Order: sequence, then structure tokens, then C-alpha cells
Amino acid sequence: MRYDSITEAIGNTPLVCIDPAVHGLRHIDLYAKLEMLNPFGSVKDRPAWNMARPLLEAAADGGETVVELSSGNTAKALALLAGMHGLRFKSVTNRMRVPEIKDLLLLLGAEIEELPGQSECLDPTDTDDPLTRFHQALSEPGSAYLHTDQYFNPRNTEAHAAGTGPEIVKDLNGRAPDWFIACVGTAGSSTGVVRVLREHDPEVRVLGLVAHKSDFIPGIRTIDEVHQVGLFDPATYDTIASVSSDEAIDGMMTLIRRCGLLSGPTGGAAYLGAVRHLRVVDAELTDAVPRKSAVFIVCDRAESYLSYVRQRRPELLGTPRRGHSATALTDAEVQAEAQVIGTDDARRWISGGDPRPLVVDLRGPHAYAALHIEGSVNIVDELFDELVRGGLPFSKRQPVLLACPVGEKSARYAALLTRMGHPDVRSLAGGIIAWRDADAPLVRE
Amino acid sequence: MGVPLYLQPRLEPSLTSLLDAGVFLHSLVDALGSPLNVLLPEQIAENTERFRAVYREHHLAGRVYFAHKANRSSALVRRLAAMDSAATGVDVASLGELRHALACGLTPDRVMATGPKDPEFLWLAARVGATVNLDSRGELDQLVEIVRKYGLSRVDVLLRLSAFESAASSEGVGVRLRSRRSRFGSPAREVSDLLSAVERYRDAVELTGVAYHLDTTAPAEKVRALECCVQVMDECRARGLAPRVVDIGGGFGVGYVADAGQWERYTSALTEAVLGTRPALTWRGHGYGLRNEGGTVRGTAALYPAYRPTAGPGYLDELLSLPTPSLGRPSATLLLEHLYDLYVEPGRALADQCGLSLALVLDVRRTGEVSGSGEYLVRLGMNAGDVSLEEHGVLVDPVLLPRTAAEGSDEESPVGVHLVGNLCLEADLITRRTVFLPRLPRIGDLLAFANTAGYAMDFHAHRAQRQPVARTVAVVREGGSWRWCLDEEYWPITHPGGALS
Repeated sequence: MRYDSITEAIGNTPLVCIDPAVHGLRHIDLYAKLEMLNPFGSVKDRPAWNMARPLLEAAADGGETVVELSSGNTAKALALLAGMHGLRFKSVTNRMRVPEIKDLLLLLGAEIEELPGQSECLDPTDTDDPLTRFHQALSEPGSAYLHTDQYFNPRNTEAHAAGTGPEIVKDLNGRAPDWFIACVGTAGSSTGVVRVLREHDPEVRVLGLVAHKSDFIPGIRTIDEVHQVGLFDPATYDTIASVSSDEAIDGMMTLIRRCGLLSGPTGGAAYLGAVRHLRVVDAELTDAVPRKSAVFIVCDRAESYLSYVRQRRPELLGTPRRGHSATALTDAEVQAEAQVIGTDDARRWISGGDPRPLVVDLRGPHAYAALHIEGSVNIVDELFDELVRGGLPFSKRQPVLLACPVGEKSARYAALLTRMGHPDVRSLAGGIIAWRDADAPLVRE
Repeated sequence: MGVPLYLQPRLEPSLTSLLDAGVFLHSLVDALGSPLNVLLPEQIAENTERFRAVYREHHLAGRVYFAHKANRSSALVRRLAAMDSAATGVDVASLGELRHALACGLTPDRVMATGPKDPEFLWLAARVGATVNLDSRGELDQLVEIVRKYGLSRVDVLLRLSAFESAASSEGVGVRLRSRRSRFGSPAREVSDLLSAVERYRDAVELTGVAYHLDTTAPAEKVRALECCVQVMDECRARGLAPRVVDIGGGFGVGYVADAGQWERYTSALTEAVLGTRPALTWRGHGYGLRNEGGTVRGTAALYPAYRPTAGPGYLDELLSLPTPSLGRPSATLLLEHLYDLYVEPGRALADQCGLSLALVLDVRRTGEVSGSGEYLVRLGMNAGDVSLEEHGVLVDPVLLPRTAAEGSDEESPVGVHLVGNLCLEADLITRRTVFLPRLPRIGDLLAFANTAGYAMDFHAHRAQRQPVARTVAVVREGGSWRWCLDEEYWPITHPGGALS
């Protein structure tokens, strides 16, 4: 299909039926609305474009900056849209909690401004939160900011009332589903879609999903946070339930490994929340009534959340690495097998050994550059770890003195290298700190 | 009323045991009056030891300084003075605190003078040989003048730096981590001038390190400051100075509320109350900074995060384990491999669980015009200055200590009350929050505000209306019972009451 602009490819996403063998519901057809297939990668492409379009058209001299409170998909879409129009984009956020998204936004040319953390020594009369100050900055005279204001902008909701909602009805042959399930972020998608669905059938049941309060699922707010959203109207939802990040990942894994849907955790939360809710209803339905239908939204794709998964469920990303590893040794083994040498003996060995030992400093390069033992080479522990995993990094004929700050890591590696067959590896007892405390010489680069 | 929205305090074994000794606490208040502050000096030793354990875990050397301003009393400082002198010290922020620390038995090498200082404070610190944590360039000049004029020995100094945000050139392009502006410290980007001055003043001062203290709970901002300090230390070395210490200040936090669920339910309910979807939870619908604008909540709750899964030593451990933004090594590793020592100055976190504040219930009545209606007002023998939890945004329940055991009738059930103070002032509320108690207090009962030793005990106490300021006692557990003495009578070697321990 041919387009004049990538923005024309926004919307008209597929509605895919989930195999009943996967979800196990006997009387309900469950459909996934694949918003992840929008061109910029998420459900936010629609509102981002709808909110930004009038601002971009009105932007006069190209010196403006589009600005939004977002740490995820809205920022991603707005950054791309701003770039297409020769404008800059700035994302203001409490914290970017998913490192890949942060990197991606930087790749897209976004500026990221992270707000300060909560005060430790609290002044209760200071109720001007950083966001208040953000809004003040936006409304200063001469401000060159274009604020899309996704949590309050009705054009967010409209994008879904004009697009997502009607598409669902059309794909269900002109009927609204019996249930609609959405995660609540800005509340834009659920409010917009539900408005259209209820026009077709006021009986549509709506399940809104929020995150557990102390938990974090990208793109989903907690029950308290949704009350801060201007577009949030409790009347939109028949039920509000919460999901945990663990459940979100479970749902995501089902969609990925069994349904061929490369969903991220937000879509996973919607799937799991939907099935959990519908299973109870399904048990009360009989074959006598006509089949029911339910639709949930798959918000975005999995690739940006690998670190999120690794942090919470490392086992999903494979088994630990093989090879020689110093961490596999117990403290007792290290103590028994590592050869250690004190500062005085080490100095004599360095100056008069035959052959003289190679001194390996395991500290970081910045610390090494600041002060080190003359003639030593710097192989930072992370790198050394990689090297020894594959085998001995020096000849067995070359004696080696390992040094680290306090002699703990060096002892561990000395024990490991000894095990690997090296005849003369020693660890500097007490490390560089003991060396310094003995007034032995250290040099700067 | 539904389920009472308790915010029960986090209590470790010592405070739990003290609160179980209701008869003892009642007898103290009967003798010494209400309000009454009770301190557990042994606890500060235990807390310090926990911080030391984090140091050991990361192989770091350096001192843990107690920020004296968190509590005025003698017992805590004297107990600290009796600890390992190489590992512990006191951070003083005024002439009075310096004199007090010295009088409590701290040798000057264990004393760090911080904050903005007047000439007398600077002179005494320099005279005795305390370390001076310099707040500004002007203070450096003033200190040098004093040292030269009065022929004093060289003074060990730390440079307190601030404004790391604008100094950070190391962060990724396009990322700007904001920090609140501080009134204290010298801007990090002007450090070169400051170091040049320190070099010129070598006859009067010896630079032992650099310092920061950031008022934030966010580890990312602190780690950025720490890395910046390491880079400044590098510049010092290049200039031939030999500083050894990075001082990362305090702000490690305390968990006040025991149960995460209670805290979450309470804060959700507060949001609902602000929205009007449930009855108010506060005096006159106060929202603690939250506002209702057309059905949407605006603002942020100006509340201390009273439930904290990671606080105090645990927070320090987390901070030390975090990689720094540009050098990428964990903070502790960075310090260690640069051969630097670490100083910290916890106040609140070292005073955690070190005491409680007692108040007598003077009156219980209802606000309604018709008798038997309206909200309960419980008037206490203290005012908001005597227990300033609210002043620090800390929401936590007091513990009810009945005067007489088990005379309660069956109909007694949890109740929400307003705690009001002893001043003739509408605003004198101990807390604006409706406090839920397991039963309605009776005149003569005690309310015990647990865990007030850090900033909430005497920081804001005053003599308005000639109401009494709380007396402070130190208590020590001996075998099965508690012994007490007045705070000023406490010394770490004595049993309260006399004989050497």
C-alpha cells in the first residue's frame, strides 16, 4: 500500500482472535486489538498525532519544542512527529524506569528532563510540586513550548472515538463486543473506545485495569494515579481491577509463546486481566445463550522491555553462562587456595624476582589513572572476568601479582587461576589500600 | 465507619518492650509531667553498628557521624561518645552543639562542624581541632583569617559542594536530571577557584575531602553528586593536595509505618476523601497538598513516605551498590578503588527507634451542638511543637496506654478522633489527620508517639503560653525491668540510679 506520509499508516490495526485452547473460555470469543502494529509502535500513535497535528500546523518558525509528560510510548510517537516537522521534542518525567526506552528516545532525538525526587527533609507548607512549576514554565510569556497535555487533552480521547472504537465495531460485523478490557494510563483509549461501543450497545461491560500500588507496569497507572488524570471518569468502567507486574509478564509470555503476538507487558496485563475476569463469567454461561465476545488492547511490543523482564524474571532469558568463574568459589576455597603476598614481600618480588611478576591492577580505569603501582597493567575486573572465563590470559611461565582495592577480589582470582593450572599467581594482601598505608610508592598517569 | 484506617508504627524489640511497660511509663508521667520525652540510648549504638556493617560489607573505611540537630538530648550523644572512636563521631551545626558534643566526651577529631557558621563557632572548632565542613568560599576566608590572627594550628576542612545538575557534563546527551536548588554549599562548577584558594591557604587549612548533602529521596541524584565529588578529588590530587574523604551527608530515611498495606490503603483513602467520594479523613477536609479540581486530583501529597521498605542502613547499602552515571562502577567500588574513605551524617536514621513522646489525655468530648453528635476531640497535655511529626509530614498513629488495665466494656470499638493540643489556638492540632485508635481514650490514659527521637521530639518545642516544655529521660533495660534517669544525669558507664555497670 502506498502512502504520502507515514502518519497515514496510523490506525486500521488488526483485530485477532485468540485461540480458545489458549485462554480456555468456552462461551466467549476473545479478540486482541493489535495497537502495537501502529507505525511508531504503539496505541499512542493515534492520540499523539491527533493532539500534535493542530499544534504542528500552527507552529510558525520552527523554533518551538513539543513537550509532554511521558516516559514511554507517547514520547516516542511525539519525538518522531516533531522530527518530521523540524521541531524538537522534550519529555518531562519523574524517572525513566525502562532503560531501553530511554535509549530509544535519545536515538529519536528527544530531550529528557527528569524531575527531582521527593524531599527527605520535608517542608509541608511547600505543596508546589515539580509539576506545578512545569506548568508555570509552559505558560510564561514568550514560551516556545507546544504542550500536548495528554492527561487532559480531549483530542487524546477523540483519536480513539474516531479510530479505535469504530474499527472494533466494523471488524465485529457492526456489533459492539460484550466486554471491553483496557489498561488505564491516560484513560484516553478506554474513554474514547467505550464512548463508541456504548452508542452501539449500552450494555457493553467495561473492565479497567490498574497496577498494584507499590508495583510498576509500563503505561499503567495505579489506582491513586488515575485520579490525577483529567480524562479519567469512573463512570467509564463497570469494574476496576488491579494487576501485578508478575501477572503482566505471565500474560505477555502467553501472548508471545502461544499466540504469536509480540506483545509487551502492558498488553500482557490486559490479556491476563481479561481472562481472569471473564473466566468467572464464563463459568456461569451455558450453551443455550448466543456466544459472547470480548476485546482487549495490545498496547505495544516486547522488544523494549527486555531489561524489565530480566529484572523480574531472569529465568525467562536463559540459563547462567558457563566457563571459569571466580564467583563459583566459596570463601573457604579462596582462603585455602589463593596465594597471598604482603606489601613488603611484593615490593621485593617486583624489583628482584626472576622473572619479575606481571602486576595486574583490577580496579576501574579512572582509579588506575589516578594512582597505581608503577609498571602495573590495568585490566578492570569486569574485563578480567570475561578473559578468564575462556582460559588463562597469560603464560604459565609468567608469574603474576594481582591487585585490587582490599585484596578480596584479587584473592578470588588468584585462587581461580591456580585452579586453572597457573603455577605462580599471587594476590596482594590488603590490596592497594594496604600498599598505600605502608607508604609504598604509587604513581599518577 | 468501616475498617479503621490505622497507620500503626514500626516498632523494633526495644520500643515494643518499653511500650509494654505501661505502668512504668504512667509512673514517669505522673512524676515528671506531660509531655515527657523518653530516650533509649542503647538503640543509637545498635543503629550505628548497623551502618558500620554496611561499611564493612563494602570494605569502606571512614566515620559515621550522628547529626546532632536531630535531637538535643545528652543521652544519645554521650552513648555515641562511648563507641569506637575511629568509626563514629558527631556532626554539629551550631556553637551550642559543638560545646555539647565536647562536653559529652567526644574528642575534637570525632567532631565535624557543618552548616553556616558564625565566627565564634568557627573559632572554637578551629581552636579545639574539629573538622570544618565549609559551606562557602566566604566561610573559608573567614576561617583562614581566624586561624592566622589567633595563631591556631592548621584546620582539617571539607568542601561542601552543591548544584551538581549544572556541573554534570558527563550525562548522556539530551538527558537532564533535575535537582532541587540548595541554599548550602559551593556550586560544583566553581570548584577550581575554591581549590586554588585552598592551595594558597595551605598554612591555615588542610583539605581532607569534599562533601555533599542533597535533600532528596532519589538515589540517582545522590549518585551523580558522589561521582562528581570523586572527579573533584581527582583534580585535588592533580594539584598536589591529598584529600582522602568523600562525605555524602545524610538523608537515608526512616520507616515509620510498619505495614505497607495500611499505608497504601490510607493514602488511597486520602485521595478519595479529597475527591469527595468518601468522608473527610482530616480536620476541616485538609488535603495535605492534594486539591480537587473538577473531579481530578491535582498537586502532590506533602507527606513523608512513612512506609519505606528500604531506609537507613539499607538505603546506604543501595546507594553504594548503584553504578554511577558516567564511570559506571558501583559507588562503593568507585570510592574504594580510588582509596577514599566515606563519611556519612545520618540524623533521623541514627535516631530511629531511639525514643518516644508521651502525652496525658486531658479531655475527651464531641464537637456536635447536640450532645452525642459530632467528631471526637481528644485534648492532650502537649502541643504540636512537642511532637512535630506533622511538621515533617510524618503520619503515624500513637499507641494508647490505658491508665488501668482491662476495665473496658464490650461496646468499645475502634474510633476516629482528632488530637488537639494544650494551646488556646485553633491551629494547635497534634495532627490534622483523623487518628484511628482501638478504643476511645479516657482522661488519664497516655498516648505514646513512638519513634520521635529524630527531629520530632524537641526540634520545634517552645514555651508559648508558658506551657511546660517536655522533660527528657533516658531509660535502660536491666534484666526484666526498666531503669530511668533524667537525660542530663545519664552517662554510659552508670546504671541509671548509681552504680558502675
